[in-house]
Amino acid sequence: MGLIIGSGSFTRFEVEGGLPEDYMEEFPKQIARLSFRHIDEASDQERSAGWVNIMDMFDNRFAAMDYLKEPCIAMAWRVDVRNVPAKALKQYCREAEEHIKAEEKLEFLSKKRRQEIKEGVQAILMKRAIPRSQTYDMIWNLQTALVLFGAVSNKLCDEFSEFFLQCFGLHLKTVFPYSMAARILEKQGKDPAFLDDLRPSLSQVE
Amino acid sequence: MQLLEKARDYEFLGREFLVWLWFRSETKEGRFSLGEAGSAELWFDGRIVLQPDENDREEKVICLGDTSRSREARFALAEYKTVTETKVKLRIGDNEWSFILDSTWMNFKSFKTPKVMQDTEQDPDGLFYEKFSLIQQALSAMDAIFTSFITLRLSSEWEESELPALLRWIKEGRQKAF
Repeated sequence: MGLIIGSGSFTRFEVEGGLPEDYMEEFPKQIARLSFRHIDEASDQERSAGWVNIMDMFDNRFAAMDYLKEPCIAMAWRVDVRNVPAKALKQYCREAEEHIKAEEKLEFLSKKRRQEIKEGVQAILMKRAIPRSQTYDMIWNLQTALVLFGAVSNKLCDEFSEFFLQCFGLHLKTVFPYSMAARILEKQGKDPAFLDDLRPSLSQVE
Repeated sequence: MQLLEKARDYEFLGREFLVWLWFRSETKEGRFSLGEAGSAELWFDGRIVLQPDENDREEKVICLGDTSRSREARFALAEYKTVTETKVKLRIGDNEWSFILDSTWMNFKSFKTPKVMQDTEQDPDGLFYEKFSLIQQALSAMDAIFTSFITLRLSSEWEESELPALLRWIKEGRQKAF
């Protein structure tokens, strides 16, 4: 479940650099360009990722700029993945190899031939695989430059940061205790470098 | 310095924050000032993960149940000294949130807001704004509490009074266990 509909986990990011001056004209085009597209069933595409409506994962059209929820841009990042189960692939490969050996009256198949069979079987089975869909809410507060992203895994956060950069041309910086402390010091007019001299203090328990 | 390296090197800030939260929640009745926004109650609830230090990540103690008052959890704290993950409850006025905080990234897991009465079908924007406002309220409260901790941690008051009291409280946990 997402953050808005239900409950969930999230990571906080800070957007580096300011908003482009023409963001109200540019962002709609960039969002449309990277809105979610279904995996082409006839292809061997394994993954598709893009923006969908935060309130409805089946809506990727954003009629009337639905993502604009002042002062935020709120969307969900939908990731569809399809794959062939390893055991099914093994079974179909074995059947295909047996069939070819019988048809061509061969006792053995070369490694290269077996690899070709595997790739062919994989491509056929991939077309029959049904994608699994996941959505991760993204709420970008344009006033504070903070982004909430509905996942905590490092891998997903890295992939999302890459996608965000691709879409908006802006880098995301993960918020973590040191960066939070540095931001506090900056707000208090102090030098964040002050933190660099800090050492753990709880090791003093005997 | 790379982000990951920096996060690891300064993870102790997050660990100390979680221990300080536990200490304050038990010794100050869980009441934290939020400045102009009033105050919040915060307490540990249901799960604490303790680990020795950054260099020895193999060993881990997980305490479940009424953890904040459990002797085992306090003993583990006296032995292991730092908390790496904890489930907390936060109350502001009549509203109550629950979430798991971790020390490395300070991200929020299993985040639950108070119940929202808006209807998704009838008024999706209303639901969004109500939910977003509740998320923001909890995040602002946690940021205010973290700001109090950092301000105190960097002041002379930390070495003079807060740290000795905190270390005494940690040590008491070992004595209570026997």
